[in-house]
Amino acid sequence: MIFAAKSRARFEDPLTFFSRAITKLYTLWIRVSYPFASIGLNLSVQYPCSLSRLAAHRMILGNSLIIRKDAWLNILPEATGELNLVIDDNCVISARTVISAKNFIHIEHDVIMATSVLIMDHNHAYEDTTLPIRAQGTTQGGRIRIEQGCWIGQGAAIVCNEGELVIGRNSVIGANALVTKSFAPYSVIVGNPCRLARQFDSAKRAWIGGGSGRPAGTESYLPHQPLARPMPH
Amino acid sequence: MKESSNRNAEPISYSRRMTRKDPLVWFPRAAGKLRTLWLAWSYPFASFGKGAWSHYSCHVARSAAPYISIGKNVGLARDARLDVCAPHGIDRPVLILEDRCGVGRWCKISARNHIHVMRDVLFGPSVLVMDHGRAMEEWTDPTGQRQGKGAGTIRIEEECWIGCGTVIVCEQGELVIGRHTVVGANSVIRSSIPPYSVVAGDPARIVKQYDFSRGRWVLGCVRSACVTDRRDPREPDLRGANSALSVPEMRKIQT
Repeated sequence: MIFAAKSRARFEDPLTFFSRAITKLYTLWIRVSYPFASIGLNLSVQYPCSLSRLAAHRMILGNSLIIRKDAWLNILPEATGELNLVIDDNCVISARTVISAKNFIHIEHDVIMATSVLIMDHNHAYEDTTLPIRAQGTTQGGRIRIEQGCWIGQGAAIVCNEGELVIGRNSVIGANALVTKSFAPYSVIVGNPCRLARQFDSAKRAWIGGGSGRPAGTESYLPHQPLARPMPH
Repeated sequence: MKESSNRNAEPISYSRRMTRKDPLVWFPRAAGKLRTLWLAWSYPFASFGKGAWSHYSCHVARSAAPYISIGKNVGLARDARLDVCAPHGIDRPVLILEDRCGVGRWCKISARNHIHVMRDVLFGPSVLVMDHGRAMEEWTDPTGQRQGKGAGTIRIEEECWIGCGTVIVCEQGELVIGRHTVVGANSVIRSSIPPYSVVAGDPARIVKQYDFSRGRWVLGCVRSACVTDRRDPREPDLRGANSALSVPEMRKIQT
């Protein structure tokens, strides 16, 4: 029995060939018929995935890019400028990732993402109290740059309402973190609201800060203080 | 060709074929239309408003439909899930979506007692709204009932905007998110929020509020949260779904 099971496991389940074939066909369809500003080699897009052909000329997709199922690359109809979304080589846009660009979002090469990541450079405007929020359009928004080699955890949200937000290279964003401000390269960012958990010190050649989500520099002698005062229950 | 919004940008010319909408999007759209018709025609919803639409991949059980009331022009996006786990013998809708609500992608609204989403509320993607918890007692319950023990009431008032990945849970008492409130991404809300606020964080804190005396949005908290909405946890909640049970029965469950 064991030998039989082993010999069967040498082959992949043939049912997966269907989904792989659909991925191949859909990728081919996108390559052939979408007028991207620029598109690299070796793209892979799983079906279903929300990409608009009308917005494709505002996007640049790099080489060896993987866009998983249910990802949503949204570019607003009222987007400013010529180019709104640049995704460089070797990135992985995982399942259920939402990237919504109004001004400019740049994801540099080798950035990998877990599922359900949200990247938005604008938001719904809410300032007018007499109108429903859905009737107020979007805010001016800012620009987002995620530098090379970052790793974005499951459910993280990167939101920029004004100015420029830069996540430095090789940073790690923890699961379900809410990032609203810029961080230097080689940071570990966790929590909601976000804080710096660890950082690479190039002088000491070592990672500084607690391993378990404590603020940098307070790991040895201070007890962990939550930065946010909770609402009274 | 669709014109770029930036007038300085050099116009890029494509063939007509390229600039039309992708014909592949018509299949899911047609499937959504059919699904909406099927829902409206064959599901016994408490109400199903005109112009409401659903994506084909929405999760609504037909057994849950009598407890769901959907208003006019409500939208249910891809993979949105409306769950109802109401106790037996209840004869009113426990999940009410009023006119022009937008339930985003991968949202889950799970109602046991009462969830009322008022008009013009927008949900971002991946929002979770639950008015009950999975109590520890559930797993040791000898009768093997799979319903959570506590059940609260959630009311999301008009014109709110609930950001992506927010969790709104109320296991007991009443949770009210006031009118025109904006909830930031990935927030966790377990207590009431006054109207005209911007909240964010885990647990959610008030970031901004509309000051009516000055007529503008100000940082920080102007009005305190409706603390009176929280009921004493020792007091049995006799309102809502549990009123279907008699008071002694209720006491029995509570103890």
